[in-house]
Amino acid sequence: MHKNIYFIIACGLALVGAGVAGTRTGRAAPAAAQPAPREFVIRDVRVFDGERVIPKANVHVRDGAIVSVGGTAPAGIESIAGEGRTLLPGLIDAHTHAFGDALERALVFGVTTELDMFTDHRFAATMRAEQQRADGALRRADLFSAGTLVTSPKGHGTEYGMQIPTLSSAADAPAFVDARIAEGSDYIKIVYDDGAAYGMQIATIDRAVLGAAIDATKKRGKLAVVHIGSRQGADEAIAAGASGLVHIFADAPANEGFAKGVAAARAFVTPTLSVTESTTGVASGATLLKDSRLAPFITAAERTSLEGRFPSRAGSKQNLAIALAATKLLYDAGVPILAGTDAPNPGTSHGSSLHRELELLVQAGLSPEAALAAATSVPARTYSLRDRGRIAPGLRADLVLVGGDPSRDITATRDIVTVWKRGVRLERAKAPAATAAAPAPTTTGLVSDFDSQALKRESQPLKGESSDVRAEFGSGWQISTDSMIGGKSTATMAIVAGGANGTRGALEVSGTLAAGAAYPWAGAMFFPAATPMAPVDLSKFKTIVFWARGDGGAHQVMVFAARLGNIPATQPFTPGPEWREFVLPLASFSGIDGSDLRGVLFSAGSKPGPFRFTIDDVRFR
Amino acid sequence: MNGTIVQAAAWSPARTYALEAKYEFLKVLRMPGYALPSIAFPAMFYLLFGIMFGRGMVGGVSMPIYLIATYGAFGVIGASLFAFGVGVAIERAQGWMMLKRASPMPPMAFFVAKLVTCTIFAAVVVGVLAALGVTLGHVRLPSAAWLHLGTTLVLGAIPFCALGLGLGYLVGPNAAPPIVNLIYLPMSFLSGLWIPFEILPPAVKTIAPFLPAFHLGQLALGAIGAGAGAPVWSHVAALAGFTVIGLGLAFWGYRRDEG
Repeated sequence: MHKNIYFIIACGLALVGAGVAGTRTGRAAPAAAQPAPREFVIRDVRVFDGERVIPKANVHVRDGAIVSVGGTAPAGIESIAGEGRTLLPGLIDAHTHAFGDALERALVFGVTTELDMFTDHRFAATMRAEQQRADGALRRADLFSAGTLVTSPKGHGTEYGMQIPTLSSAADAPAFVDARIAEGSDYIKIVYDDGAAYGMQIATIDRAVLGAAIDATKKRGKLAVVHIGSRQGADEAIAAGASGLVHIFADAPANEGFAKGVAAARAFVTPTLSVTESTTGVASGATLLKDSRLAPFITAAERTSLEGRFPSRAGSKQNLAIALAATKLLYDAGVPILAGTDAPNPGTSHGSSLHRELELLVQAGLSPEAALAAATSVPARTYSLRDRGRIAPGLRADLVLVGGDPSRDITATRDIVTVWKRGVRLERAKAPAATAAAPAPTTTGLVSDFDSQALKRESQPLKGESSDVRAEFGSGWQISTDSMIGGKSTATMAIVAGGANGTRGALEVSGTLAAGAAYPWAGAMFFPAATPMAPVDLSKFKTIVFWARGDGGAHQVMVFAARLGNIPATQPFTPGPEWREFVLPLASFSGIDGSDLRGVLFSAGSKPGPFRFTIDDVRFR
Repeated sequence: MNGTIVQAAAWSPARTYALEAKYEFLKVLRMPGYALPSIAFPAMFYLLFGIMFGRGMVGGVSMPIYLIATYGAFGVIGASLFAFGVGVAIERAQGWMMLKRASPMPPMAFFVAKLVTCTIFAAVVVGVLAALGVTLGHVRLPSAAWLHLGTTLVLGAIPFCALGLGLGYLVGPNAAPPIVNLIYLPMSFLSGLWIPFEILPPAVKTIAPFLPAFHLGQLALGAIGAGAGAPVWSHVAALAGFTVIGLGLAFWGYRRDEG
C-alpha cells in the first residue's frame, strides 16, 4: 500500500517537473516538418517591449515570431550585438493615407504597420491579401485600412478626384457602412468637419447622420473613428459615441472638462501633430531633412512632400501650441493617445514623419516611453492587432533596432540600425541620388506637328504600345490609361488628316473613360527624354502651347515631374468644335518649375464615357 | 386498525450525492467564516488594485482586464484550499469522517459534495469580479473569452481541491487555518496573482513555475490573451501533477487515519 502511494506521488512529481520544464523553455510542441527556421538572437540589448523598458535582455526570434525575451540565448544560432542599443517593436503609424509605394517607404524608416484612414479600397484589399500569406509583405509595412471614408456629397474626401460614394441621410447609414465593410474596411472613418475652424466652407454630414453612422458601425462590431476639425466638432463626435478621434482640433483650447469627457467615453485620440505643425507656416518635415540619421534615406519626392506646408492663415501660428496642450490634457486624463502622422499631407511623408510625431508628443509633455507606447502597444491594443505592438513571446517579429536609448532621447528612434519584418531583415537602401535632369534637347520647343508622319487609315487605328507616333525630341508618344492601376478605361491615337491652320496632320486621341478606378485617366502622352519618364530640364520654356478641337468635354493636360513623384500636376482644357490654340503657363501647374519634366499627358477629363479630341502643333514656348 | 404502509423512498446513489451536496453547500453558506472571505477578499483586492489604482497595461491588456484573470485565480484557489484543507481537517477532528464512514453514504459523495460547493463558490467569485470589472473597470471582452476564462477557472479549482484535500488529511484542526494561509498567500504572491508576473523581479520569476498557483494564473490569462507565452500543455501538465500529488497525500493520510 505504501509503495502505491509513493508511486502515485512520484508520478505527480514527474508531471509537475514536465510542466515546469515546459513553462521554462516555452517551446511550442513541434509541428509537422518545416523548412529551415529563420532564427537569430539579439543579445544584451535594451528592450522597450511596448509598455516598459527592460534594461538588458536576449531576444530570441524564430520563424517570424518572438520566442522569448530574457533568459539565456540558445547557442549555435545567428547572434546580433545589442549592447548599447535599444530594440523596439515595429512602429505603427496610426493615421496615414497609403497608395503607391507608401508602404515600402514606411518600412525603410522602421514603420512596420500603417493604419490607413482613406485610400482606394481595391488597393487596400490587394495589400491585405498579400500580407496574409505566410511570406507576404516582407519588404513593406502591413496595411489596415478604413477603405472609403464616410462623408457627405461634396464633403471632405471628395476633392481628391477619386470617385467615391457619399452618404446623405441617416436612413442610408447602415447600408453605407455595410457596403464599406463588404469592401474590406477594417474600421470605419467618418468625416465631420465644416471647415469653419480654418476659414473654409465645406459640406459635411450633420449630427443625425454622424450618430447613425457611428451606431451602424458599432453594431457591426467595428471601430467608428471620426475626423473632426474643431473643438465643437470633437464634443459632438464624442457625444455621438465615436470610438476615437483621428485629429485633435486647434481652433480653441481644450480644458480638463473636455479631457475628462473623452476619458469617460472611453474614446482614444490620434492627435496628428505633424500636420497641425504644417498649418502654422512651418514645414513639419524640415528638421527631418536636416537630420543626418534620416537624410540619406529620403528620396527627392519625399523631400518635396516634407518641405510642404499648408497655406497659413491669420491666427494659425497658435495651432500647434493649442494642439500640444490639448494632447497633454487628454493624456493626463487617461485617454489613450496614438501616434499618427496623416502622411503624405504637406510637411509629411510615410515613415520618416512618425519620428517627428514622436518628438512632438514628447514636446507636448508625454514621457519618451509614453510616446513610444503611442506608436506601438497602444495602437495595437486600440485596433485589436493582437499579434504586434509589443516584444513578447508569440508575437510577430516586427522589430526595429536603434542606436542609443529613445526612452531618454526620443530622437534616438531615427538612428536605425536594423529593421525586421516578420523576422526577415530589411535591406535599407539609401535613396538614389536624384537622376540629374538632362539638358533640354530642343531649342525650338516643338514637340510634334504631326505633319511628317504617314497618315493612318481610319480602319487601322494605332494601339499606341510602341512609339509609332514620333516627336521632334524625346522618345515619342504613347497611350496611357488607368489600366495601370486596375482601371478599365481605353484609348487609341491616330494621326489623321486635317491639322490646325490648314496643316497636313494632327493627332486624334479617342477612347472610353470608365468609372471605377481611383483616378480615372486615358489619353496620349509624350516623353521629353530619350528614355520614357527620365527627367529633362525644360525650365527655359514658360508655357505649353497646342491647338485642339474635340467633343467639347472638359479634358486635362497632366504634367509629370521628378519632384512630384508619380502624381502629376493638371490643368484643364476644353476643345470645342473649331480649332483653338491653348496656352498653358508651366507656372499654372502647381509644384513644378519645368526643370525636371518627365512627361506630358493629354487625357480625357473625369466624366466617364466616350471621348474624342484632336491635338496639333504641340510645343513648349 | 389498518396502518398505512409507508412506502419508504428507494435508496439511490444519485439522491445521496444530491442531498450531501445540498447540505454541504448550505452548511458552508451558513459559515460566514468561510463564505465571506472566499468572495470578499478577491473582490476587495480587485477593487483596490484593479479599479482604483489599476493604471497602465500589462501583457497587452489593461490592468482591470488582467487582474480579473489573476484575482479570479486567487479567489478560486482560496475557495478550494479552505473548503478542502481547512474543512476536511476540522471535520476529521470532529469525528464527521467516522460518522460518514459508518453511514450508507458512499465515501465519494463526501468529496463530490465538497467539490460541487467549491465549484459554486469559484463561479460566484468569478462572477463578482466580472461584475465589478464590467461596471467599474469598463472591462470589455468577447463572450468567447468570458466563457474560456470561466471554464478555465472553475475547472482549475480541481487541482487545488486535491491539494487542499492532501493538506486536510495531514494537519490537525488547529494548525490547518494558519498552515493553509501560510501556503496560500505567499504562493499567490510569488505566482504573480497579486502583482502581475511580468513585473515581478527576475529571481521570483524563476521560482514561479514550481508553484501550482502560477500555472492556473497563466491558464486564466491565456483565456484573455495576456499569458506570458508558455505552451498550454506545460501548465496543464503541472496542474495534473499537483492534482495527483494532492490525491496521493490524501490517500496516504486517509489510510493513516484508519489504522
